[in-house]
Amino acid sequence: MDACVAVEKEVDKVLCKFTAFQDRSSLLIRGLYSDLENIKKQIDESEASDDCFTLRDSINLLQNQILARTKEIITNLSTEHRDLHSSVSKVGKAIDKNFTADFACVSHENFFDEGKQDMINEVICRHYLREGCLNVAETLIKDTGIDMPEDAKVPFLELNCILTSLKVHDLEPALEWAKKNREKLRAQKSSLEFKLHRLAYITLISEGQHRIKEAIEYARRHLTGFVHQHEKAIQTLLGCLLYVRSGLENSPYADLLSSCQWIEICEVFTRDACALLGLSVESPLAVCINAGCTALPVLLNIKQVMQQQQVHNMWNSKEELPIEIDLGQNYRYHSIFACPILRQQSTESNPPMRLICGHIISRDALNKLTTGNKLKCPYCPVEQSPSDATHIYF
Amino acid sequence: MKFSENISVFNLVFFINLYLFAYNKIKASEISSIEHPTLKVPYEVLNKRFRLAQKSIDRELCHVTNAVSELEKVLISDTKDKNQITSLIGGVMEKLNSFKRKAEDVTQEEIECGRVIKRRVEHLKEHDSTSPAVICQWRKLRLDRLLMEYVLRAGYYNTASELIKGSPIKDLTNLDIFLVANDVEISLKNKDTSKCLAWCHDNKSKLRKHARKHFTGQDQAQMQAVQQCMALLAFPVNTDVSPYKELFSESRWDGLVTQFREENLNLFQISTPSAFSVALQAGLSALKTPHCYRGPLNHNPDCPVCQKNLNELASSLPYAHCSQSRLVCHISGEQLNEHNQPLMLPNGYVYGQKALEQMASENDGFVLCPRSHQTFTLVEAEKY
Repeated sequence: MDACVAVEKEVDKVLCKFTAFQDRSSLLIRGLYSDLENIKKQIDESEASDDCFTLRDSINLLQNQILARTKEIITNLSTEHRDLHSSVSKVGKAIDKNFTADFACVSHENFFDEGKQDMINEVICRHYLREGCLNVAETLIKDTGIDMPEDAKVPFLELNCILTSLKVHDLEPALEWAKKNREKLRAQKSSLEFKLHRLAYITLISEGQHRIKEAIEYARRHLTGFVHQHEKAIQTLLGCLLYVRSGLENSPYADLLSSCQWIEICEVFTRDACALLGLSVESPLAVCINAGCTALPVLLNIKQVMQQQQVHNMWNSKEELPIEIDLGQNYRYHSIFACPILRQQSTESNPPMRLICGHIISRDALNKLTTGNKLKCPYCPVEQSPSDATHIYF
Repeated sequence: MKFSENISVFNLVFFINLYLFAYNKIKASEISSIEHPTLKVPYEVLNKRFRLAQKSIDRELCHVTNAVSELEKVLISDTKDKNQITSLIGGVMEKLNSFKRKAEDVTQEEIECGRVIKRRVEHLKEHDSTSPAVICQWRKLRLDRLLMEYVLRAGYYNTASELIKGSPIKDLTNLDIFLVANDVEISLKNKDTSKCLAWCHDNKSKLRKHARKHFTGQDQAQMQAVQQCMALLAFPVNTDVSPYKELFSESRWDGLVTQFREENLNLFQISTPSAFSVALQAGLSALKTPHCYRGPLNHNPDCPVCQKNLNELASSLPYAHCSQSRLVCHISGEQLNEHNQPLMLPNGYVYGQKALEQMASENDGFVLCPRSHQTFTLVEAEKY
């Protein structure tokens, strides 16, 4: 954030100076203007009274003072403006100093070649379909001429429609969808339908005493089917009825009314619906770009260090990035086994092997540690035959 | 062979330490490593505006001094006609007024340009917010900004104008310079060089500087390209365009459009691969694991690199580096740790305790390995 602050400081300075210049130039010129106006008047009037002395005085004053000052002030203003350039260029320098101009050095320049552009355009198109920006996606298809199957759009259209209604607290489309997909949702252990009914019930109660009867009927009709899976939750829902008269806001059940409930239902719906359709919960493109923005500063730094050490070859290798990038738990999608002995990731040809004592090392490490036909576990005193180790899959 | 392997491992450890040492410095620079064009382009606009402003002011200054010296000439002379004097004073006053108006206008324009930079800096500062909702929204906006630049570069102007509808990104992206470019491109496609020439004239000094800086010292192979560029430069100087007309045969026009596009980006110091492309590559690499390429059974629907198109795009990129194991349950996608211990089935496949226990509780104590389709009892699963 220091980078932003440094630039902001310079920008503020420039803005301040420009404003000051603007004010100053107006003020000075206004002064000159009125001086000239006065002298003009004097000369005009002197003519009427035919007083030669006054005229000569006025002309002297004009010649020696006012005109000289006019030239000086105007020239100074131009110079003052020119001098502002140093402040302007300081902004540019602050930007160059605090921001990396050449971030492209950590990328393949020809990444978009060989027909990859179409693939990227398709990814972008799918991203905007997901986001519900149908217009953007359609225009992109027209602009790029990519071939987007019509059925790629349908699921997103429906989901976005439902989500939009949920955001304005309309549960109806979501409930309908949940009912239609009840079997599949149940198979993936989703409690979406229950949560939707629960929220409908809470909405009824929150409207006040006069809807209690309706709420109880709603609960009888819709919540009964969920008693086995959600016993506790249903008890809570019925318990809160006791407090409706005195106001739910000040009761132990106040959290039922919180607006988080609606945010949560949107999240639950997105997650469960995406899982049902075999889609990722988050937009893959968004995940990639966020990961990339986290990775970039690390890569830029290591690049710099590597150049200082004059090691270029590691960067060129297409095998692995030269540095570990911690994207956080949410961005881990696959198990990675790194051999604790060789500190290398396991591969098809160098898989993780489980020794009979339960310790796991890579096959290369196992081969290196084997002497004769004996292997001593590097972590415990157990001695074993290397052929007893078993291939293990994460 | 073994020896050299060890060396590379040590090198790596050395780098990691170096990196950890610098880590605190790096942490804040997610912004600084990719947002350079976001600020530099409006700065270049401000700088250009400043130079134009200086020119206008100097022109006005000239008018005022001319009027003043005209008046002085009359004052010095012996014939002092009052009417002439007052009318000349009026002339000076008029020029002064015009100076004042012009100075106010051009400074106002400069201030507007400065404010654009300020607004962008303020937007970038929001990234530091403590509220997750704000950060989430900010990231969404960043993606839109990056995509906006990408579609503009590619020339998908309709998509770009669709993107800015109802979004605050209009002020945060460098739309204007691309719109100017679009204008020029359209006229170039209609075989009309006038707009491009006007553009060259507008940016004459910058282009010259650029040409001097980048074209000297390049090898012979690129000479032809350089000559073409220089020809482009020559137009505004030579009002007679005809000697160059032969250079631009029919097929050249498309080439000229591309060339113009590149020059325009260079002028504003926007790097050749777009920020979007750079971030996408870094992201794909940081997420790429060997599992993503071991068949659909190993795929995770949430993993971007397992998606069809991204998978293909990432194929030429390096894998993520991983020096410490991190295990994820193949069934639930949850982390494997002390709260959800990894269990190994007799066939060597490892899953999370939670997922296996749940499966067993619904299945009379039996678990089905989803990858090998073998069935075991939960009791057979081993902790390790």
